[in-house]
Amino acid sequence: MARMKRAGGLRLGAATLLVAFAVGLGVAKADGPVTFVGWGGEGQDAMKKAWADPYEAASGVKVLQDSPTDYGKFKAMVESGNVTWDVVDVEGSFAYKAAAEGLLEPLDFSVIDKTNLDPNFVFDHGVGSLTWSWVLAYNKTSLGDKTPEGWAAFFDTKTYPGGRAVTKWLAPGMLEAALLADGVPADKLYPLDIDRAFKKFDSIKKDIVWWDSAAQSQQQVASGEAAMGMLWNGRAHLLETSGAPVTVSWKENLVTADYVVIPKGTKHKAEAMKLIAQVVSAQGQATHSALTAYGPVNTQAEALIPADVKPALPSNHTDGQIVIDLGYWEKNIDAINKRWYEWQAQ
Amino acid sequence: MQQEATAGLRAAAARMNRPARRSEGRYALPAFFFLFFLFVVPLSSLLLRSVTDPVPGLGNYAQLLTDQTYGKVLFNTFAVAGIVTIVSLALGYPVAWLLVLLPSRVARWLFAILLLSMWTNLVARTYAWLVLLQRTGVINRALMSLGLTDHPIPLVNNLIGVTIGMTYIMLPFVIFPLQTRLAAIDPAIMQVAAISGARPTQVFFRVLLPLSLPGIYAGGLMVFVMALGYYVTPAMLGGTSGMMLAELIGVQVQSLLNWGLGSAAAFILLSVTLALYALYVRSVGFGQVR
Repeated sequence: MARMKRAGGLRLGAATLLVAFAVGLGVAKADGPVTFVGWGGEGQDAMKKAWADPYEAASGVKVLQDSPTDYGKFKAMVESGNVTWDVVDVEGSFAYKAAAEGLLEPLDFSVIDKTNLDPNFVFDHGVGSLTWSWVLAYNKTSLGDKTPEGWAAFFDTKTYPGGRAVTKWLAPGMLEAALLADGVPADKLYPLDIDRAFKKFDSIKKDIVWWDSAAQSQQQVASGEAAMGMLWNGRAHLLETSGAPVTVSWKENLVTADYVVIPKGTKHKAEAMKLIAQVVSAQGQATHSALTAYGPVNTQAEALIPADVKPALPSNHTDGQIVIDLGYWEKNIDAINKRWYEWQAQ
Repeated sequence: MQQEATAGLRAAAARMNRPARRSEGRYALPAFFFLFFLFVVPLSSLLLRSVTDPVPGLGNYAQLLTDQTYGKVLFNTFAVAGIVTIVSLALGYPVAWLLVLLPSRVARWLFAILLLSMWTNLVARTYAWLVLLQRTGVINRALMSLGLTDHPIPLVNNLIGVTIGMTYIMLPFVIFPLQTRLAAIDPAIMQVAAISGARPTQVFFRVLLPLSLPGIYAGGLMVFVMALGYYVTPAMLGGTSGMMLAELIGVQVQSLLNWGLGSAAAFILLSVTLALYALYVRSVGFGQVR
């Protein structure tokens, strides 16, 4: 009898536990703090200083920080209805893809003022949080007195011998660089001639040194492992200022943005909108640019940025700059990605 | 009297070896719940997703098994795991034997070194290999300054780099089971073989190696299964032509959000691993799995 009871008790206990567990998952306080998610590290510290801290001070609503941004987790949260992230910094291509998949809340532009925002980086489900460019960084020691400018030079391994640092992960902007190098005029890039871009990549395939993290890209160019690299401007700028023998060419820089988005089903929609309003405010953008060397999306921020930071920002190199068409990439990224892996694996 | 005692002992022994009676099954309940809700349920949903997302059917599996790109990824995964297993065993065996032969004072130091490398961050160790192996790396610079070669040898971002990096990380997992097995062999057996006129090579191939087979199976299986699911090292040291399954799953799930395809790939990996494990248990016996 005692034995029976105990076994029954165990089963009952386990069942209770499970029910509690399931209920606990679906319940969250609606007036809790907002959670901001970034990529971690120094980048997120800058975001906290420029956006979360002023927002906290002004509204009294606490902002919790979480990292890193993880698209798998993002999707899982929205699907399960258990959303614990409120404002997430994501790559542009993901912002468009997630919006198309119905993973995002539409933004409320009566709260978020978009009058002074660069229209290239605003759409109904996301706004730019920072702009960044693909730039050409080269190692002065490897190239002697040669000074490559623009993507044609990047793909010209005869004139400029040496390795080429390229990211392993296909990203918007890479095929554009190949097409520009092959002579496609900037205003005729889209829709991309994919075959032509891959053919151009074929010509430097044996010289490519692949990188899969930004730190690695810096190391490759700084050490001369690659004579040139297609790098993020912030990383390239850090190399230039760190005393490494590296120069950055901004010719034909390809600009795009990170976006802030709100996962569908957030419990703090109103607070999240207000936090995004702070992210894209002139002061929020200016403070962030001054800390990171990534550009502002708010045109009014320019006046507030210290003069010594400006040369490093994409917003200072708009002459001949190309804006990457994220809408095009959202529709075609799966197909191009597959082709990219096939090409890499050949 | 004597007989009765023996019979009693026998009965006791039989009781000891009998599988748990039904009434004792309740002690396994917490473990069952744990496994059921934390493994069976999520894995079932994984399987379900692989045949429903984006459209119902076996399309994801068909794509993985027929498409050339994915086929190459599957092939890479098994090829690399196989190569790493063989190289790890070849390098680990002498070390394991050395650990058995050395006086315990010295062996302890060797153990400490092995463990220390195991406890060092995986990414840091992998990165260190990158610094050593790359074109402008330590090894290539040394070779060129010694005049042994006039241009850098590609040692990384290819199969060589992956094999070196993964073998290095896997070595302890081969050495420890082998050492356990080798230490259990009575050294007198080798002496007997030598006295009976066996040459050292014969002693090794006909006495030591057969006796240590369970250790080789255990270590080899452990490494093979771990290598199948390896992510960081191949991603960092491998070339683009050598993508492995874990990396493919990561890309599909985290960047491309193709969860159906990712789930199918994960399920294939899991099934193969379980099949290998079952094979191992059948050939070696459950008790040998350490």
